[in-house]
Amino acid sequence: MSRMTSIPRVSLTWLLVAQVLVIIPHLTHLPLWIIGLWLGSAAWRIQIFRMRARYPNAWAKGALMLAAAVGVFLSRGSLIGLDAGVVLLISAFVLKLLEMRTRRDALVLIFLGFFVVVTAYLFDDSMLMAFYSLLPVTALLAALIGLQQSSLAAQPWPTARLAGGLLLQALPVMVLLFVFFPRLGPLWSLPVPNDKATTGLSDSMAPADIAELSRSAALAFRASFNGTTPPRSELYWRALTLDRFDGRRWSQSDYAEFAPDAQWQKQGEALSYSIVMQPSAQRWLFALDVAQTNLAQTRQMSDFRLQRRQPVDRSLIYQVSSWPQALRELQPAQQTLRRALQLPAQGEPRSRAWAEQLKRDYPQPEQLVQALLNHFNREPYAYTLRPPTLGENNIDDFLFETRSGFCAHYAGAMTFVLRAAGIPARVVAGYQGGEFNPAGNYVQVRQFDAHAWVEYWQAEQGWVSVDPTFQVAPERIDMGLEEALAGEQSFLEDSPFSPLRYRNLSWLNELRMAWDNINYGWQRWVLGYQSEQQLEFLKRWLGRVDAQSLVLGLVGGGGLLLGLLALWLFKPWQRERDVQQRLFRRFEGLLARHGVVRQPGEGPRDYAARASQQLPAQAHAIADFAAAFEAQRYAGQVLSTGQLHQRLKALRRALPWRFTRAQP
Amino acid sequence: MRAKLETVLQTVNHVLLGKEPQVRLALTCLLAQGHLLIEDLPGMGKTTLSHALAKVLGLSFQRIQFTSDLLPGDILGTSVFDKDTGQFVFHPGPIFAELVLADEINRATPKSQSALLEAMEEGQVTIEGATRPLPEPFFVIATQNPVSQGGTFALPESQLDRFLMRLSLGYPGKAAEKALLLGESRRSLLPTLPALLDHAELALIQAEVPKVRASDALVNYVLRLVDATRTQPQFAWGLSPRASLALLAAARAWAFLAGRDYVIPEDVQAVLPSVVGHRLRERADPAGHGAGSLVQWLLREVPAL
Repeated sequence: MSRMTSIPRVSLTWLLVAQVLVIIPHLTHLPLWIIGLWLGSAAWRIQIFRMRARYPNAWAKGALMLAAAVGVFLSRGSLIGLDAGVVLLISAFVLKLLEMRTRRDALVLIFLGFFVVVTAYLFDDSMLMAFYSLLPVTALLAALIGLQQSSLAAQPWPTARLAGGLLLQALPVMVLLFVFFPRLGPLWSLPVPNDKATTGLSDSMAPADIAELSRSAALAFRASFNGTTPPRSELYWRALTLDRFDGRRWSQSDYAEFAPDAQWQKQGEALSYSIVMQPSAQRWLFALDVAQTNLAQTRQMSDFRLQRRQPVDRSLIYQVSSWPQALRELQPAQQTLRRALQLPAQGEPRSRAWAEQLKRDYPQPEQLVQALLNHFNREPYAYTLRPPTLGENNIDDFLFETRSGFCAHYAGAMTFVLRAAGIPARVVAGYQGGEFNPAGNYVQVRQFDAHAWVEYWQAEQGWVSVDPTFQVAPERIDMGLEEALAGEQSFLEDSPFSPLRYRNLSWLNELRMAWDNINYGWQRWVLGYQSEQQLEFLKRWLGRVDAQSLVLGLVGGGGLLLGLLALWLFKPWQRERDVQQRLFRRFEGLLARHGVVRQPGEGPRDYAARASQQLPAQAHAIADFAAAFEAQRYAGQVLSTGQLHQRLKALRRALPWRFTRAQP
Repeated sequence: MRAKLETVLQTVNHVLLGKEPQVRLALTCLLAQGHLLIEDLPGMGKTTLSHALAKVLGLSFQRIQFTSDLLPGDILGTSVFDKDTGQFVFHPGPIFAELVLADEINRATPKSQSALLEAMEEGQVTIEGATRPLPEPFFVIATQNPVSQGGTFALPESQLDRFLMRLSLGYPGKAAEKALLLGESRRSLLPTLPALLDHAELALIQAEVPKVRASDALVNYVLRLVDATRTQPQFAWGLSPRASLALLAAARAWAFLAGRDYVIPEDVQAVLPSVVGHRLRERADPAGHGAGSLVQWLLREVPAL
């Protein structure tokens, strides 16, 4: 055990603390048996330290490992993939504790710990998480320092203080690297953990989906406008259009994927704003109509949605300009119109009949649309998140029987009727409104702001958006979902503690707004600081910069820094100015490479004698140099340094060539 | 001249068997005009060494046995009333010799010790108002029993500093002791020793020694050594300038004895233990026995170049 020194007490203490701190943020998505596993392993390890227990033998270790693997498989259904992988990693991290005999094992455990800290960011990259992770990192550093300390050190605090100090000292470097280090594209794309992608719009819509979303207060995106923020009733954030109806669901047609660029004409004032989007695992972006963005690898598709080539799997910042009054697709392709008229071959007989009736009454499309909206407004339709169940002909049931539902019902029904009346129409899915945060002057849009509305096509005017929900529940549009649901108390009924439910408490609301503002800043300036933002930022400060010169500058700057550090460490200006001495150092270096290292207190003559003894073949050359050196340095003989040089060269020739120092 | 010195060494080595390094150091000390302190157990050949040196260098020899009742007058001499002339006549003490062996100096009281040590430093004695010069050359070889032995008065640092070197003879090697046991008595050899040098030659040599070249680089080494004793924490106190002068003088004499006219770091290292060993004290060791490890540290750690 002389070389494999055991793990000091301080290090073990901090390692156990670090494990707890590392695992805590994972608790939200870990199976509970991991905690039991950790408690068992930690207790066992402590007993080992107290010499009350032995290390597990190979059988026990194998059984534990197998049990952990089976546990992961049972609770996650797989051993691979992100979720299962993290659980597996953490159980390995916990079990390694039992195998930790030597400092080397402890090192492995500590580095594993750092890795687990990083994996926590896959699940939560908020600011709190980032600051929290300083804690486990400090503890891991303390464990690392403790490893190097004497086993007699008993107080864990000084070690932690040292670790904290080191971390503080590293902060400026961290900030510098954050600002300047080039953002490399990921080498492989990580799947988004399940719990991040559970909420959000999908590419098909049945009313139940929107009801599902309405229960979630998760953030979808935040938008900040340059200039004044438009009133919320104008904020229709388009995500995608759904133009295929199978009698139950509205979905995106296949054609939408490879459609040519949209045709439209800019008109009126432009709105310009930036959006910080949460990961959605989908490829479409959110924007007001009709949007243009400078984001790379993003196209405007024929239905005016913005679509990225890659799914949005981490927060994304993009700048958008929108022209709300633009005219869209005055001359659409015939297929587009045909697709906007598609209906199932049969079903919904009453709705179809009613559409025929309307068409006869109102030959002009806009009159028909207006009549339809008036119908929704005047008839006793109700807005509710708890609609009664609908039968086979769900649109018929909704329009003529139940008459209560929410945006998806209204948009679906209206589109159906318009199509049945021969007016090209489609459902638009996205978000409506959002909460204005006066502290940060931005709008935050949450999942419960999900919305569906209708757009229909008319000659000369192109696509026109209308929102039947507005006719039924104008407060939904003007004030948001909470007001619309004030009567039935169903707003966020599943999450009684969500601060959003207590918006009428003004202090709480202000606190929430301020906190959200801070998080928004974190998203925008820290998480959103990706390669484009970086380049832009550096351009602002350094003028013209591109990725290449950034890398060059970084390499150059790093080189310069290292050079300065080397200068400071080696202090070449303190180097021997004395030529004789320098030559002697070279002589020394030469012999050292052959295993004869001079002790500091060893005089030249003794050293040469020793070297001659060890290298008898070169004794002559060694003695020659030593004698010349002595004569010059101590006897005051005037020999030119050239002679010393010559002798050194002779010695070098006499010795076999060797580059590295020999082991003595 | 150097050949003669070699003969001197050989002759003394013939009497004192197996102690070549110590004999060489003792001769070095005399050539550097310093006084020598030999610290060892009784019966190790301290007296033999000093007697032999006196003989071969052709010096008059006196031995003073220090005891606890020794008085300064016993060393320096006293005036005795002469009945015939009716006057006080000065009777010089044993100190008026060219080589004085002060045997077991630490058995005497400090008062008597200091009478000798003042004479060593000044090269003259003052008795009853009259200053009397000591002979030229004048060497003192003092011996002392290890301080820890009973009945000893330790010499204070200020007085230890007056000795250029402190030597310890140590037990002889097996071969040497065997030869000692088989051969004739060493004491009986002493009277037969020839005087190899006369006063003039000795004076000449002593004049040569300071001319041995100590280059700038070498003086820097001495300075580094001295500086280390003053700055490193394990030293209770540093070396005095007198000590650095002594170190250089001894190194010169050593180099001269080695037949060189310049000093190299190895010369300094050869004399370092005996020159500074009695002047240093380890901080952690107030009793003062641990200077050996300090000297070893100096030899090992202070860069020689």
